[in-house]
Amino acid sequence: MTTGIASPEETPATAPLLTTPPPAGASHPLASLNAEGWETFNSLPNPGRKDEAWRFSTLKVTDLSGFTATAPASEALCSELLGRSRALEQTAGRMVFVNDALVARDLYSEELEKLGVIWKPLEQAAADHPELFAKHFMAHGAELGGAKYAALHKASVRTGTFLYVPANVSVELPIEIFHWLSGEGNSSFPHTLVIVGENSKVTLVDYFQSADAEEKNLAIGVNDLHVADGASLTYVCVQEWSATSHAFQINNTVVGKGASAKSLNVSLGSRYSRIESLSKLIGEGGRSDMLNVTVARGDQEFDSRTLQDHYSPGASSDLLYKNALDDHARTVFAGLIKVEEHAHRTDAYQKVRNLLLSDEAEANSAPGLEILADDVLCSHGATSGQVEPEELFYMLARGIDETTAQRLIVNGFLQEAVERLGNEAVEALIAERVAARFV
Amino acid sequence: MKSLVIKDLHVNIGDREIIKGLSLEVEKGKVHAIMGPNGSGKSTLSKVIAGHPDYEVTSGEVLFEGENILGMEPDERARKGIFLAFQYPVEIPGVSIANFIRAAVQARLPEGEELEATEYYQHLYEKMDQLEIPRTFTSRSCNQGFSGGEKKRCEILQMAMLEPEYAILDETDSGLDIDALRIVADGVNKLRGPDLGVLVITHYQRLLDYIVPDQVHVLMDGRIVMEGDKNLALELEARGYDWVREATTAKA
Amino acid sequence: MSDTTAIDIDRSIGDFHYEVEHQYDAGYGLTPDTINYISDVKGEPDWIREFRLKALETFESKPMPTHWATEDLNAINFDKIRYYLAHAQKPTRSWDDVPEEMKQTFERLGIPEQERKFLAGVEAQFDSEAVYSNIKKAVGDQGVIFVGSTEGLIKYPEIFRKWFGKVIPTGDNKFSALNSAVFSGGSFIYVPPGVKVKHPLQAYFRINAENFGQFERTLIIADEGSEVMYMEGCTAPKFETATLHSAVVELVALKGAKIQYVTVQNWSNNVFNLVTKRAIAHEEAEVKWIDCNIGSRLTMKYPGVVLKGRKARGEVISIALAGDGQHQDTGAKMIHAADETTSNIVSKSISIGTGRATYRGLVHVPRHHKGCKNNTECDALLINKSSRTDTYPAITVRGTGNACQHEASVSQISEEQIFYMQQRGLSEGQAMSLAVNGFVNDLVREFPMEYSVELKRLIDLEMEGSVG
Repeated sequence: MTTGIASPEETPATAPLLTTPPPAGASHPLASLNAEGWETFNSLPNPGRKDEAWRFSTLKVTDLSGFTATAPASEALCSELLGRSRALEQTAGRMVFVNDALVARDLYSEELEKLGVIWKPLEQAAADHPELFAKHFMAHGAELGGAKYAALHKASVRTGTFLYVPANVSVELPIEIFHWLSGEGNSSFPHTLVIVGENSKVTLVDYFQSADAEEKNLAIGVNDLHVADGASLTYVCVQEWSATSHAFQINNTVVGKGASAKSLNVSLGSRYSRIESLSKLIGEGGRSDMLNVTVARGDQEFDSRTLQDHYSPGASSDLLYKNALDDHARTVFAGLIKVEEHAHRTDAYQKVRNLLLSDEAEANSAPGLEILADDVLCSHGATSGQVEPEELFYMLARGIDETTAQRLIVNGFLQEAVERLGNEAVEALIAERVAARFV
Repeated sequence: MKSLVIKDLHVNIGDREIIKGLSLEVEKGKVHAIMGPNGSGKSTLSKVIAGHPDYEVTSGEVLFEGENILGMEPDERARKGIFLAFQYPVEIPGVSIANFIRAAVQARLPEGEELEATEYYQHLYEKMDQLEIPRTFTSRSCNQGFSGGEKKRCEILQMAMLEPEYAILDETDSGLDIDALRIVADGVNKLRGPDLGVLVITHYQRLLDYIVPDQVHVLMDGRIVMEGDKNLALELEARGYDWVREATTAKA
Repeated sequence: MSDTTAIDIDRSIGDFHYEVEHQYDAGYGLTPDTINYISDVKGEPDWIREFRLKALETFESKPMPTHWATEDLNAINFDKIRYYLAHAQKPTRSWDDVPEEMKQTFERLGIPEQERKFLAGVEAQFDSEAVYSNIKKAVGDQGVIFVGSTEGLIKYPEIFRKWFGKVIPTGDNKFSALNSAVFSGGSFIYVPPGVKVKHPLQAYFRINAENFGQFERTLIIADEGSEVMYMEGCTAPKFETATLHSAVVELVALKGAKIQYVTVQNWSNNVFNLVTKRAIAHEEAEVKWIDCNIGSRLTMKYPGVVLKGRKARGEVISIALAGDGQHQDTGAKMIHAADETTSNIVSKSISIGTGRATYRGLVHVPRHHKGCKNNTECDALLINKSSRTDTYPAITVRGTGNACQHEASVSQISEEQIFYMQQRGLSEGQAMSLAVNGFVNDLVREFPMEYSVELKRLIDLEMEGSVG
């Protein structure tokens, strides 16, 4: 086990996020990228009402006043959180971060390193493998409206996960990464960079959690997922930031020839959340499954923007987003299937399903299609409905109380998306986390 | 005698040769049957005669009463009098059977001549009754949601309405139960006569109990390897294609 | 000037034009003077002049909506357009009194013949003003008002003012503001309570002049329990320069009333057709927009229904055919503002050559209403490799007890379908036409008979030359 808690002098504890360029020591391997990011962040305008990419959004997520640059956590807290960093029973390894500092890196199978798997904190990978890093780190811009926040991430990112699986290596057990955030107003910039080599296979799960459910945090995370020809990646992100937090997540996935990427966002936490997910299909026969389950309660707002970008002919993508909404919660889904010129023989599907559990909940759906090629099979659908009274009555008639019944129904509703992962252990874990929202 | 003649036909799909020097003559007034195992080139032959763009004829001729039709568009061949009853008829959403057949009949009339609607419907209903197709079918979209038997009966209905010179029935028996098979065969038999040449393509002998051929040809690996009268079909049924394979290799 | 009877004929039915001298011409460009000119020659009351001048300010203050709409809108040069061209301000009640060139125009388009055959009333607009307007006596005797917008606002101010600009406020969008500033022509219809107009009322909008903008304004009020069907047809000759058509259509269906509004447009492909159409449906009222968009360079049109009363029902049935170089940007808006309101949207588009068909939809169930239902279906058919289609629906649902469903698909005519039809003796072009007609068949049935025949013919014309 290694610990990597940042020394306090590196980051002033109370620097307001937006007024001071977030400094990384000049010796930090990401320092020059940070500077670039800061410049870009300041050059970009704030999103406005008339911005199509922000249609339906309340824009409150973009209010960053009151948040401070990442400050380190105490050693005692770090070891407590390390103890809480347990999820799946069987894993190939885990990394634990607290306030953007590495607390643990456990690799349970040494075999993997012998096979050439590189699994390191991001900044270390930047120093050790500069070419590999430069080629893949934020290689695609944030195209779905969040460019300014991607830039702020770039300006502020200090660490994260770097995973490189060379060709023809199958990592059977999932790898887990825990990102904890502690301290009122504190911010975090989690980054996960995965390169899956040709014909290789790996599963990765990110967990985002606030150390204290009462504290308000800011998280701006970015993923770079590169899936080479014939490779297969399963990626899951379980987001459970505190109920007052603001969370941005920008996911970019590139799928090669005959490759397969499956990603599932499990959105449970935060006050305002915006996830932008882009899947670029650049090789023939590539496939991308984009899945999402959201349980929106209280006054939570979840804003999902997606793009299934078909560059190559003969690729397929299938998106399924399921939102269960209660209380005053709000969701936005704005997705687009784009079939570029020459991407003939594309199969692309997009479905959003909203389950409204209360009279004040609001679901917004804007599924879109832009088809510039021929010989394609594309369809999208959006439905919004409620629990069928007969279904509820049936359960009550069996003696099940209403809360349990609702939980069961919601779980059943979300199940369709979760089971597409095809990983029972992860499914069970998600069911448990979702159920925990109904106590 | 008038006939449809296939002369030393060679056909490729992509780089693969499917038909390798096939010759055959279908005379007006006669029923010829082509039998052969799966993958022998039966369906390819029917598509090539009809002019499907996926197939490349590398050499040979198809002579319609002396005229080579290989350079013609599919619709030109159809209007000359070639009819293909498809093995898998495609669905055409929103286009009713009545309108579809009407457009096809209209396409055969000289320019400026309009099909008379009441006569057309009278004629259509008559043929539908013969084929035991309910009249409600006229407003249904062509082949959409049809059962296998309904699709095949609809093919024969079109054949009856379009009155071809030569008809090719491509595996018309596939997917049919015995009752449907009888209806379809009856329909074909009613159309038999001195003005129609028929080429029945089938895997099984069963259909030939109902549509009795004048001549039977066995197609294997892209060539006609054996010919005979209707009894050949019975023998084939009894002894299987392996028997033909042995007989022909022994000959070679 | 050429011989006044010289005719330019192209294959398309509306593509001909007669040279016509306009006695009234507001000239090029748009200023307060243009508006004063229009108001003066029309002899309008002051309130409408002020309404227009205010609308001009709104128009000028609003940017082009290119943050969501196509940049092609920037190709419109508002200074190179004439905003008012007329022969006279008052339409005649008899075709005999219509000036010869105009009469010939409408004869060729078959309007007087249709009127005799099956219409309850006809208004024929030529450039800015109606030249003919007549309603069958029996219908007029029932108290049905069917006049031009100017006559409506002068003669029936108590009904007109109550609803005018209330369904679509001036500032709704840049083009509704433009129309509000310079509107001329269009129909004003009032159907008294309980009156069911058996036969359709029809308006025909004809643009004849080059570098011209037609801005008709239609207001239809169906009083309680009444029923009316209104049909409009539109054509223009093909000019080299851009022509603008920007109408505003407001419908009010009071309690239990039914309005059907049918449009078959066949604009030439130099026309920018930017139209705002919306209805308010009160309790148990029903409004149905049946819309067929053929031709034009760019059409932007999203007919809407504000479902204001309990159990109100709204429907949009739309067919769009985007030919080579054309952009049909159409859709529908359904605002559910009361309990148990239902809406249905069925949209089918066909893109040919480099044509682009866009569907934009908005379905809104804003507060916790109960029992609201929307069903939306969009199907797009792509004909050629360079054809394009987009679908951008937006659905907001709040609360339980409502159901919204949206489905869209994109498809092609398969090569196997074409081969099958060719095998039956149809040419490739005929096969294409048949398949396209099959694709829209279920919607064409929604149109009145006379229009569905015309539609089929127009589709065949558009499909010509789309193959190969």
